Amino acid sequence: MKKKILSVLMGAVMCFGLCGCNGGESGSDVNGSVDNSSSDNGGASSDWNYISGKGEIIIGITQNVPMNYYGDDGELIGFETEFTKAVCEKLGVTPKFQEIEWSKKEFELNAKTIDLVWNGLTVTDERKENMLFSKSYMKNKQATVVKAENADKYPTTAEMANITIAFESGSAGENVIKADEALKNCKQVPNEAQKDALLEVKSGTADACIIDFTMAKAATAEGTDYADLKVLENIQNTDEEYAIGARLGDTETIAKIDAAIDELAAEGKLLEIAKKYNLDDALLLGA
Amino acid sequence: MSFWDVTRQLADGFGITLIIFGITLVASLPLGLIITFGSMSKIPPIKWITKVFVWIIRGTPLMLQIILIFYGPGLMNWDIMLPRLTAVLVAFIINYSCYFSEIYRGGIESISKGQYEAGQVLGMTKTQIFFKIVLFQVIKRIVPPMGNEIITLVKDTSLARVIAVTELVKAAENIIAVKSILWPLFYVGAFYLLFSALLTFLLNLAEKKMNYYSG
Repeated sequence: MKKKILSVLMGAVMCFGLCGCNGGESGSDVNGSVDNSSSDNGGASSDWNYISGKGEIIIGITQNVPMNYYGDDGELIGFETEFTKAVCEKLGVTPKFQEIEWSKKEFELNAKTIDLVWNGLTVTDERKENMLFSKSYMKNKQATVVKAENADKYPTTAEMANITIAFESGSAGENVIKADEALKNCKQVPNEAQKDALLEVKSGTADACIIDFTMAKAATAEGTDYADLKVLENIQNTDEEYAIGARLGDTETIAKIDAAIDELAAEGKLLEIAKKYNLDDALLLGA
Repeated sequence: MSFWDVTRQLADGFGITLIIFGITLVASLPLGLIITFGSMSKIPPIKWITKVFVWIIRGTPLMLQIILIFYGPGLMNWDIMLPRLTAVLVAFIINYSCYFSEIYRGGIESISKGQYEAGQVLGMTKTQIFFKIVLFQVIKRIVPPMGNEIITLVKDTSLARVIAVTELVKAAENIIAVKSILWPLFYVGAFYLLFSALLTFLLNLAEKKMNYYSG
């Protein structure tokens, strides 16, 4: 329902946007007029000028372990937090971490309320239509989470046909379900966030959920309320990778970020941060 | 995570909830009256523009209004960008003013014509009649429906999370996301219950205080 409302609103806003930039040759998205103003500056792309002019770059995040979360002393920590800070230091801008609702990340980018999505963002073809991605820096895979007593029931996804399955709406997990012959016929429960999908399994309203492997491992660790859930690696994963998302057309910003990531990888800094959060196995660069 | 750590984090969220509640209430009470005058105006354009406005605001979800006010300007490349909490406040104030205005209108129209006529016979002006005779009777009559709206407002504050304002419910969800413990989600219920108990008490008190107007 909410998704429907959003798409209607998005449509309405797009219509306004189109009326607004009559002269724009592309007229395809809200960035149109930004590009127009850049051509006034002699052809140079202005997306980096916009960000460096502000002096701070707004990073859209959600709280999740081990990417971005508040430590016991109330400081924001995590792999992505430290990675972001290291890249921004190279670029000479200050990162400002802004919590967002994950389902509205494209809204936030286009409305310029954030400049980057940088929070374990999986590259998908669908997202490429709405965002510009940096180079990929980490592998990601999807995992199935079920109650421990059901763990032996599902050695492969074929046994999961016709069960109730929860996932985060618009996530990489949803793509897995849509692509899998057995899972596609399951009763599907699209949730707002991955943590809500876990809650569905815990409360028994769904038989299983499909979420990011790193998140699943961290969330079901000893001492959490999800310790009675089990993470299964029964999914034939396609190659999934994490990257940083920017507005379409922010090519100069992404070029600068890519260069900074290469430097950090060469210096061994990226590996150092990944090791700190036990993510070095998944690292694609500088490992 | 200890009980006190959770309580402290939820208290931070509750602070935002109280800000949204308090500012919305204080601003909407008088603004609603202005909208009432608009929708009861004898000048047709003012009357109809106000009525259409109230229809739009009451006829669309508050959640949609919050999203539109916060993301709309940026998406349309206007140079105004409201801070998140401000966008929430603007949406809430407009929405609640419209609801309040209709309650006021119901209250004002319930006062019998005879009282206006009596005022005129005594030589009072229209303004005098409204503020000295009608208004206080209206206030007494609208306390119960206003109480309804005010208690709804307490719970509606949780809509602020759609643009990632960390109010009470969002604060609890953040704890769940990071610590994977579930009880804080139910603990927030206690905050809402205690607060609405306090409001119910105050509203009852207000009703009692105005008992001497028998209208």
